[in-house]
Amino acid sequence: MGFALTFFARRLAQGVLIVLLVSFTIFALLRVVPGDPARIILGPMATDEVVEQTARDMGLRDPIPLQYMRYLGQLAKGDFGTSFIKARGGGSMGGGRDEARGERARVLDLVAETLPLTLRLAGLALVFTALIALPLGIAGGLMAGRWPDKLALYASSIFVSLPNFWLAIVLALVVTAKLGWIPSIGYQNIAYAILPAFVIAIEMSPLFIRSLSVSIADTMRHPFVELAQVRGLSPGRIFSRHVLRNAAVPVLNLFGVQIGALLGGVLIVEYIFDYPGFGLLTVQAVLQRDFPVIQGIAIISTSIFVVINILVDFVSAQIDPRIEY
Amino acid sequence: MAASIDEPAAIAATAVAATPGRRMWLATWSQTEFKIGLVLFLLLVGTAFIYPLLSDIDPTKLSVRERFLPPVFLEGGVWAHPLGTDQLGRDLFVRSLVGLQNALMISIAVVVLMFAFGATVGLVAGYRGGWIDTILMRLTDAQLSIPLIILAIIILTVSRPTPLSVILVLALAGWPVYARVTRSVTLAERRREYVRGATILGASDGRIMWRLIAPNILPPIAFVAVLDIARMMIFEAILGFIGIGIQPPTPTFGTIIADGRKYLINAWWIATMPGGFLFLTLLSVNLMGAALERARNRLLRGTI
Repeated sequence: MGFALTFFARRLAQGVLIVLLVSFTIFALLRVVPGDPARIILGPMATDEVVEQTARDMGLRDPIPLQYMRYLGQLAKGDFGTSFIKARGGGSMGGGRDEARGERARVLDLVAETLPLTLRLAGLALVFTALIALPLGIAGGLMAGRWPDKLALYASSIFVSLPNFWLAIVLALVVTAKLGWIPSIGYQNIAYAILPAFVIAIEMSPLFIRSLSVSIADTMRHPFVELAQVRGLSPGRIFSRHVLRNAAVPVLNLFGVQIGALLGGVLIVEYIFDYPGFGLLTVQAVLQRDFPVIQGIAIISTSIFVVINILVDFVSAQIDPRIEY
Repeated sequence: MAASIDEPAAIAATAVAATPGRRMWLATWSQTEFKIGLVLFLLLVGTAFIYPLLSDIDPTKLSVRERFLPPVFLEGGVWAHPLGTDQLGRDLFVRSLVGLQNALMISIAVVVLMFAFGATVGLVAGYRGGWIDTILMRLTDAQLSIPLIILAIIILTVSRPTPLSVILVLALAGWPVYARVTRSVTLAERRREYVRGATILGASDGRIMWRLIAPNILPPIAFVAVLDIARMMIFEAILGFIGIGIQPPTPTFGTIIADGRKYLINAWWIATMPGGFLFLTLLSVNLMGAALERARNRLLRGTI
C-alpha cells in the first residue's frame, strides 16, 4: 500500500508539471502568432480603436506570463473560459460587439458535449483493434517463422500502409454511398461510429500485432516455459498464466504511448466523417483560431494522456513485480 | 531453438566474422519481404523521377476539354491519361508521380532531422544522467503527450505553411521517440567495459559520446528509421489534406485527395487513384522497414 501511495503521489506531481508545461507552451504559441483574438471576436467590421480597447479590457496586452497566471487562476476555479466563436446551444457566432460575452459557449460545456461521443468511438475502436490484433499477434508469436507469423507480418504491413484519411474516404464511398450498408456521415446512433472506429482500428492494430507477436515469441524462448512443460502444466495453462502475463507488459506500455496517436487518429477520422466529437471540435477550433477552446482541449487531452500512462505503469508494476518506477 | 527461424543457416555461418552492420544487412537481405519491398519501391520511385521528364504533360496545366476523364480501364478512358484527369483536366498519373517526389523528399528530410535531434538529446541525457537527464526526459514526455498531429496543425495553421515549415514542424513533432530509444540504449552502453576504459584513459565526454558510443548504438536505430519515412509521408499527406501542408499548385497527395473528395460520387477516381499510389509506395517502404526491424531484433538478441 505504501508503494502505491508514493507511486501515485510522485507520478501525479510529475504529471501536473507536464500539463503545466504543455499548456504554457500552447498558450504562449497562440499569443505570439499573428491573428489578434480581439479582432476575431469583433469581426472585420470593427474599427482599430474598438479592437484595441477590447484587447485591453480582456487583458490581451499584458505580458504573456501574467496572462497565463490569470488563466491558471480561473482554471483553479474550474473556469476554462468561453469560446470566441461558438454560441451556447450550438451554431457559431458572427463577429459583432453587441453580443455579450456570457452568451458564448463555455469551453467546459463544449468538451462535455463532445467527449462522450469520442469516448464511444475510441472504445469501439479499441474493441475492433483487439479483435484484429489479438488473433493475428498471438498466432504469429506462437508459431514464429511459420505461416501465421508471415500472415501477421503482411497484414500489419498492409494496414500500416493505408493512409487513414484515404481509407476513410474509400469506405465512406463504397460502404455508405454505393452499397448503403452502414451509415457514416454525422452522428445519429451508434451505427454511425462503426466505420470511423474501423478506420482507427486499422491504423492502430499493426503496432499491437507486431508488439504481441514479438513479445510472445520472446517469452516462449525463456527457460521457464520449458520448465513449466517439465512440471507437467498443460499448454493452455502455460500460455494463459505465464506467457501471456509476461507478454502483456510491453503491449500495455505500447498502449500508453499510443494514446497520443489514438487521439490524432480520432481527430482526422472525425473530421472526415463529420463525427461531432472531441476531434472535430479540435479541428474546428484550430481552423477558426478559437484560442480558449484550443487551450482547454490541450489541457484536457494532455491530462487524459498523463493519467492513462500513470495507470499503465501502475498495472505493469502489478503484473510484473520486477519493474521499478 | 525457435530463435533461428527464417534465416538460412548458410548465411548465419558465413556472417559470423562480419561486422554488426554487415550481419544485419545479410539478415535483412535474406527475407523475401525485403526484396518485394525493394523492387516495388525502385519501380515506383524510378517512375516518379523519370516519367515526368519524358512525358510532355504538365502536372499543373489546366485543360477544360479533358475534365473528369475516367481511368483507362473504364469506359471513356484514354491511354494518354492512364489514371484519368481531375476536375480541371490535369493528368492524375503525372500529378501522383510529382506528389510522390515531393512526399519522398520531404519525409526523408524530416526523418534525418528528427533522428539527428532526437539521438543527440537521448545521447546527452543517457550519458550525463542526473538533472540534465531529468529535464530532457520530462521535456520529451511533455512533447510526447501532445498528439503529433494536433501540434503540427496548431503551428501550421497559425503560421504560413511552406515546404521548410512543414519539414520543421513534422521533425519537431517526431523527435521524442528517438530521444527515448537512444537514451535507453545509451544507459546500458555507458556501463560497458570500453566506456569505462576510455574514461580512465582520460577521454573527454564529447569524444566518448560521439566517437565511441554513437557509432555502436546508432546504426540499428537508424535502420528502423526507414519505417518513419512511411509514417511521415502519411503525416505530410494529412497536412495537405486539411489544407495546411505544401500549398497548391504544387501537387501533393493530400491536396489531390482533398480536391477529389468534393467530386467523390461522380468522379471517384480523383480521390482514390492517387491514394492507391500512395498506399503502394507506403507498402514498399513498410515491407523493407519490417525486414530491417526483424534483422535488428535478431542482432540485439544475438542470433545472427
